[in-house]
Amino acid sequence: MSPELIIALFAAAVQAGTPILFATLGEIVSEKAGVMNLGVEGVIALSAFAAFVVCHLTGSAWLGLLAGGLAGTLLCGLHSLVCQVFLGNQVVSGLALTLFGVGLATFLGTPYVGQATEGFGKIAVPLLSDIPVLGPILFRHDTLVYLGYIAPVAVWFLLNRTSLGLGLRAAGEMPAAAAAAGLNPQRLRAFGVLAGGFLCGLGGAYLSLAHTHLWTTGLSGGRGWVAVALVIFAFWRPGRAVIGALLFGGVMAFQLRLQASGTNIPSSLLLMLPYALTVIVLVFSAARARERSGASAAPAALGVNIEPEG
Amino acid sequence: MDERKHTGSPLGTPHGARPDARTDIGTDLGIGDVLPQVRLTGVTKRFGNVLANDGISLSIMPGRIKALLGENGAGKSTLMAMLAGRFKPDEGRIEVAGKAVDFASPREAIAAGIGMVYQHFMLVENMTVAENVLLGQEGGFFLNPAEMRRVVGGLAERYGLPIDPGARVGDLSMGERQRVEILKLLHRESQVLIFDEPTAVLTPLEAEALFAALRAMSAQGKAIVFISHKLEEVLSVADEIAILRRGRIEGEFLASEVHSPAELARRMVGRDVVLEIDRDEVSAGRMVLDVKHLSGEGLEDVSLDLKRGEILAIVGVAGNGQQQLVEVVCGIAEPQAGEVSILGKSWADFFHSRGWKGELAWIPEDRAGLATGRGLSLTDNLLLTTREGFAHGQWLERGRASETTRGIVRDNDVRPGRIEAQAWQLSGGNLQKFVLGRELYREPRLIVAEQPTQGLDVSATEAVWQRLLESRRTAGVLLVTGDLSEALQLADRVAVMFRGRVMGLFPVTDTAQVERIGSLMAGLRD
Repeated sequence: MSPELIIALFAAAVQAGTPILFATLGEIVSEKAGVMNLGVEGVIALSAFAAFVVCHLTGSAWLGLLAGGLAGTLLCGLHSLVCQVFLGNQVVSGLALTLFGVGLATFLGTPYVGQATEGFGKIAVPLLSDIPVLGPILFRHDTLVYLGYIAPVAVWFLLNRTSLGLGLRAAGEMPAAAAAAGLNPQRLRAFGVLAGGFLCGLGGAYLSLAHTHLWTTGLSGGRGWVAVALVIFAFWRPGRAVIGALLFGGVMAFQLRLQASGTNIPSSLLLMLPYALTVIVLVFSAARARERSGASAAPAALGVNIEPEG
Repeated sequence: MDERKHTGSPLGTPHGARPDARTDIGTDLGIGDVLPQVRLTGVTKRFGNVLANDGISLSIMPGRIKALLGENGAGKSTLMAMLAGRFKPDEGRIEVAGKAVDFASPREAIAAGIGMVYQHFMLVENMTVAENVLLGQEGGFFLNPAEMRRVVGGLAERYGLPIDPGARVGDLSMGERQRVEILKLLHRESQVLIFDEPTAVLTPLEAEALFAALRAMSAQGKAIVFISHKLEEVLSVADEIAILRRGRIEGEFLASEVHSPAELARRMVGRDVVLEIDRDEVSAGRMVLDVKHLSGEGLEDVSLDLKRGEILAIVGVAGNGQQQLVEVVCGIAEPQAGEVSILGKSWADFFHSRGWKGELAWIPEDRAGLATGRGLSLTDNLLLTTREGFAHGQWLERGRASETTRGIVRDNDVRPGRIEAQAWQLSGGNLQKFVLGRELYREPRLIVAEQPTQGLDVSATEAVWQRLLESRRTAGVLLVTGDLSEALQLADRVAVMFRGRVMGLFPVTDTAQVERIGSLMAGLRD
């Protein structure tokens, strides 16, 4: 492989990893607050459509992005309602959310299949993009990729350096302790779910506005599930989420290149590659988590609804 | 102190009251001009028809450590839950710094300066000490971990509570975790700190450190309430002692007035007769339990025996080896040293070939957790210990089990009378009557009953006592109780335990010995 090809592959990995990164970060925020959201796949599908339609109708990529984020927030609001108000099972509600989101996106999107939209174009960052190797890999992308550079830092800062993040983590670890400290764990959890939904929505918006620039059914393509798995791989840490997203983005980009290069490996086998990697990564991270029990484990009250008192 | 300020407590003269003004302290009056930090007047709380707290009046003074002493189920926790804003009293008033309060939630109690250290810590294990202490009190949107550690470290130093503010709580010992809980209250500037059985989870060394911290906090003007049933530690740390028994304050005095743990034990267990019960004689039969020189697991050279037709009561302050003895007799723990024979067989033989019927029945103290499954119907709960009686290989005769359950429910007047009801839907008394009926259905020859009437109302207590007395015809009963009047009414003989030893074993008719029970419970043989 020539150096140019390798650089192009890495650049493609960054791009393919960005939507997964947003979704993973969103799920981390939600799970840190104690709410497991298995509806990421549905959230991505619906927000990708919302972003596409708004951008298509208004011509503004930024409005489209906002619509994507809000669609994610709205859909996760449903999850919050089911789990927090009606005390529904988080797993069941999440699975329903996936079916609902994917189905609704497909249904509403039928008239638009194959239509294109402007979306976000590529902007080379002055100076930085001229750095050899790193420039083409990191700094010749669309705006959303750059946003993806900031997002993990922002999420880390929110969780670890603000009182809101501290309360949010307490709500996910031990809601009773948060309540005893005078906080409202239900509200903190709702914030986590909604903010997480917004981030997932940005990931969905990326797919239609920056990745394909057109609407097609099945755009989410299992990325939501990969994000759910990556949260575990990342030990609920934004920094490790970046590594995971790049890894998966890389495999996705790699198998595309391989298909394009006309190899005689069956394409369905290549398409399977990222998901096979998901399984392998989960096995390894489970083993590692067992080794270093404690500090890296899941939030203690993850998936456990807060029962009303009395 | 001013003699003329003497007024009687609303409950009449407290147990052991002396005509000097010192007895007033805390009962209903403050010390001289000092305003009580918290003052309770006639506080009453009922759960169903169980009177958990009955007209309690108490003053909690700044700069003093008040011990609230009582057996399990005496109403200590209910009283403190009302102070912490978790329950509302049915009657009576609570004043904080002279103003009447009516807490709607724990948050309001915290805001009023009342802080509680529960037995089960309210800590986030995955966070640091500093994060736990400052949770909800960060004082700004952005956090500065170094500054947080400095604040918490400074606080810890001021009150002599050594701790690493950067450590993860999950890595700390129980004693250190308790310090984190205390720091939380200190940071909130709580004026009243309530400790619910704080030494239960501590090593003796950690307990010493806690007492030092309590004294340091009280020296800085905090009002401290210390709930316990351990006599020595109450005497060593408290300024004032209030005794709670069956929901009432049965006496309040200065710690310096109490001359020995024995005196305290006597005051704590009391001799009040709750109800009289007819007790016909049953002639003693064969030996059902014979324990010789049992040691290990906190027991030291325990010897006792029990015959059919007899009730042997084990009395003592909770935590003096009763639990370990029961666990050995019921087959949970293997005897380490010494001999235990049950129904004429050695311990190993008995538990190796144990049948469900005609042998051993256990009525554990934890009737809602150990004796029954809370989400199971009464029929399923019956099957928990009797399933062998309804089984044909892998198949259960549910029809017959339901019929039997219905019979038990009817005969023992368990309400509600539906056998489909789940265990948690029954009140404590009804659940206990059901458990007793179930265990007696097994026609046991040895019955182990632990605190069988704890927290029950009078009618349920009477029903339980009646069944235990009846069962003497076919069985020997080992009754473990913290309630001396229960022991003296039911038992033929009494064994007093202290620190894993049997301090004395004598018939209840031996009045001279019975008078000494208080001393024996405190470990004094003279």
